[in-house]
Amino acid sequence: MDAHPPGPSQSVSLRHVLKKFGSFLAVRDLSLEVAAGEFVTLLGPSGCGKTTTLRMIAGLMPQDGGEIRFGDRRVDLLPANRRNVGLVFQNYALFPHMTVAENIGFGLRMRGWPKAKQQAQIDRYLALVRLEGLAGRKPGQLSGGQQQRVAVARALAFGPDLVLLDEPLSNLDAKLREQVRIDLRAIQREARQTTLFVTHDQVEALAMSDRVVLMNQGEIEQIGAPQELYTRPATEFAARFIGANNLIAGQLVEGGEAPRVAIEGQDIALRASSSAGAVGQTVWLCVRPEQVKISAIAEGPPDAVAARLTDMIFQGGTMLVEAAAPGIGKLRAECPPAEVAQLRPGDAVMLSLDGGHVVAR
Amino acid sequence: MLARLAWAVYLTVLLAWLVFPIALVVIASFEGDLQVSLALRQFSLDAYRAIPRGYWESFRFTVSVAALATVCSLLISVPAAWGLVRGRLPERGVVSNLVLLPDIVPQLILGIALLTVFIPLRLSNSFAGVLLALMAMNLAMGLRFSEALLSGMAEEYEQAAQSLGAGRLTVFRLIVLPMIAPGVAIAALFLFMQNLIVFELLFFIAGPRATPISILLFSDIIDRGVVPQAIGMSALLVYAGIAFYAAVAMLLGPKYLAGTLMSRKG
Repeated sequence: MDAHPPGPSQSVSLRHVLKKFGSFLAVRDLSLEVAAGEFVTLLGPSGCGKTTTLRMIAGLMPQDGGEIRFGDRRVDLLPANRRNVGLVFQNYALFPHMTVAENIGFGLRMRGWPKAKQQAQIDRYLALVRLEGLAGRKPGQLSGGQQQRVAVARALAFGPDLVLLDEPLSNLDAKLREQVRIDLRAIQREARQTTLFVTHDQVEALAMSDRVVLMNQGEIEQIGAPQELYTRPATEFAARFIGANNLIAGQLVEGGEAPRVAIEGQDIALRASSSAGAVGQTVWLCVRPEQVKISAIAEGPPDAVAARLTDMIFQGGTMLVEAAAPGIGKLRAECPPAEVAQLRPGDAVMLSLDGGHVVAR
Repeated sequence: MLARLAWAVYLTVLLAWLVFPIALVVIASFEGDLQVSLALRQFSLDAYRAIPRGYWESFRFTVSVAALATVCSLLISVPAAWGLVRGRLPERGVVSNLVLLPDIVPQLILGIALLTVFIPLRLSNSFAGVLLALMAMNLAMGLRFSEALLSGMAEEYEQAAQSLGAGRLTVFRLIVLPMIAPGVAIAALFLFMQNLIVFELLFFIAGPRATPISILLFSDIIDRGVVPQAIGMSALLVYAGIAFYAAVAMLLGPKYLAGTLMSRKG
């Protein structure tokens, strides 16, 4: 379905954007380029500056430095109503005294579209978010999921340069959230709409985004595709924030293409290349639970570490295995249950960690 | 069971005490004098027929000045409150407290103060003078009412409208006003009722050319005792109040009244 004339969407560029609250730097020197039609997520813990950034882009909060451009148009000096931004709030903020159709049509009305054209566009977007037949309802008569879709339709219908979504899934129950996540992504792709999505939920960020911007304390920690963020976190914060991870203190013995890490006097050759620093530097070896290979002690590969199983938790598709390695501490592994069917808590095992990745400590 | 019974008795007594004086006036108005008997032996409309022309003129004066003062002060105080609440002006605290003054100062004092201003301006004993005096009182209450209403309304609605392309005035007209309209109607109800019966404030400002009904009744009863036409007019004031209340209630639906009345006062 061709809901949009092609290309109303714009690229977005933030350059050295700064926001202070008193002496507190909420956003420090943030620069970011978003391509037209791209879905980018600002991910981070609460207080990291992601919502502040979004509000500055929307024009709801003045920035204290830097500039914001949509395409080649500089917008940061414009009031919110002249930025042409679609905004979806966490609580949707649907106008309670207007019908679904009036809500979706509000942006069109403000732009002085002729009545007939407004109606056609409203119908198109009601269809896009699958709410045909509910045009005459008031928001109070809709379920949370339906309200959320009205809010999305309202933000898209007038052809904004950019759509901003502020934690729009956090008020939905878990099951609905998963569905809406898929729907939202499909709608965004269909409309080829540049979108900035703010969330603290890494699962949402990984599932929906073309790229994820991981933020911490007002700064960008890492920008990358979801897979890149997951497999090659650039910093300790990224390694800890996204997904489960074993972080093991070590020392880089060799860097570059064939890195080796010394852990507790043991030299482990890694399969992945390392981006972290010079030889001799102290590092964290990050190994995802599913990258840890468990083998019985007799058949252990040469550069595995010895450990003792402390717990095995059946999770359906996978078994979560906890083991204690002397000098290293607790390690977690996740694997198909059949692979560890012979093992019991208390058994001595070898854990290979060579699938891991190294970040500076 | 006993507790329920005690509760029922308590409520009945409370309600009776609230309703009794009003019922007394209404019943008396149909009997022609204040020697009320609940049997309504001699039902008559004599008290109403006895209402002289001067009363009617004064009644019309009171209702029109009360209504006009209500409308004017809300037209000023609602936008002002919006500016104070959303503008995050540093002056807000000072203004919010200053506007309490007319409610804290005894109305009689406020009336005397206004009189000293009105005399040189030739505003005492005039419609405009009474209107301005009422507005001084109404603005304070209207502002507090509106501030409470707006503080209770999430700012996201306005921000959403803004991001959709609405300028400040459009936001106010299409989003803010409709959303707080029920509360404003209740505020109007309060102000109008207060204006209808206000006495002390206008005691010195009123005069022969601008006589609110409350003051006319007062001087008549002082001079001549509780004459039947005074009872009849009092009853009419009760009807006016009830009618206005009913109109607001029908406009808003029952859920906004009863209970919300006081809690919305802020």
